[in-house]
Amino acid sequence: MTGPEGAPTTEKSWLDVVREALYGMAAHDMSRAALRTRASMEHLFILITMGDLLGIPILPPYYSLRLLPYVVPQISTWKRRMLREKDVADAMF
Amino acid sequence: MSLKEVMLQHPERRYIMFGGGGGVGKTTFSAATAYWLASQGKKVLVFSVDPQASLTDIFKRDIFGKGPVQIMNNLWAQEIDADTHIRTYQQEVRQKILDMYGLPKVPEEIENYIQAASAEPAMEESAIFDAVVDVVMKGDYDYYIYDLVPLGHALYYLSMAKVYDEWINKITKLREEMREYEEMVSRLRHEKVTEQDQILNELLYIKNRINTSARILTDKTKTGFFFVVIPEAMVINDTRKAAQTFAQFDVPIAGYVVNRVIPRELLGQNIPEYLRRRIAMQDQHMADLHAAFGERILALVPEMERDVTGLGMIEKLAATMFA
Repeated sequence: MTGPEGAPTTEKSWLDVVREALYGMAAHDMSRAALRTRASMEHLFILITMGDLLGIPILPPYYSLRLLPYVVPQISTWKRRMLREKDVADAMF
Repeated sequence: MSLKEVMLQHPERRYIMFGGGGGVGKTTFSAATAYWLASQGKKVLVFSVDPQASLTDIFKRDIFGKGPVQIMNNLWAQEIDADTHIRTYQQEVRQKILDMYGLPKVPEEIENYIQAASAEPAMEESAIFDAVVDVVMKGDYDYYIYDLVPLGHALYYLSMAKVYDEWINKITKLREEMREYEEMVSRLRHEKVTEQDQILNELLYIKNRINTSARILTDKTKTGFFFVVIPEAMVINDTRKAAQTFAQFDVPIAGYVVNRVIPRELLGQNIPEYLRRRIAMQDQHMADLHAAFGERILALVPEMERDVTGLGMIEKLAATMFA
């Protein structure tokens, strides 16, 4: 276990673990906030491209079809979210 | 200057368009111009962007949805079949969804969306708009003659390019911001940078398509846009208004061609009062036209004694247009 070449690696990975834990605690909230903003933007994006799904035509449909394949997985969560929010603007900002 | 002189002086104008209200002779003039240019040894494609295309009738050949069809030496004609184009396109979108997610069939909600989107009124115009980019980008011909839709639609077609462009710019920006957040999360988590945003790539592709089309419509050196008018009060008023709007969209108006002018020689013959009155009416409107457009009136084309269909009549018409 503590061989001549094993020791430094263990030590380094142990330090890494501590560093990552400390860094992670600080960064976790930030990355969560960033992901949340990112998700809101994703929903805004789908709203302006696929608004027809909720009855709000915004984008010329010919080109929104081009984008459709990429947003297939998001569509169901997006609809739920749009219907949950009291105000669509809440979802945007 | 005559229409012939304008054409000969500007060989760099590869994209020729005839615009005007419904039934003034846009298709006829497109066909005649294509015929004349082809007989001058230029390789010409005349194509229709009108869902109610009538090049088939004019050339007496069924060309609808068949791609470029050769009519005679140097002359090809094409009518874009928007419906088939849309159906093929829908199928491509479905296939892409199936391939991307390994699904056996398109989810119902998504299928409904595909169906609903295709029923929108703008779908047909957009599909043709998009198909035109393919036609023109190939660049196989010396001249492209656009047989345009009537004025209202043509304006819509033009404004669409501007709206699309602004719209795409906005969502591209949003998409780029989204990407910044994604990269930030990746950095915080010590992950590799995420793979390329495919949606952003698609948006850039769409933007490029729209710009190509809009650039041609508003290119002052390569495009010649001619208005077709007939000496009637309402048509003249509409044309005057449309000319202003087109100018706002930076469409370079190359001149005006007057169609359906009753030959004045008839006055020397024994003709009924009815015809005399119509000639007097046209004289008055011709004076209005000269006052409004003056030197920019490039040709007066007489009312023909019969329908302009078939190459024989087209040749006859081209001879008077490009006298």
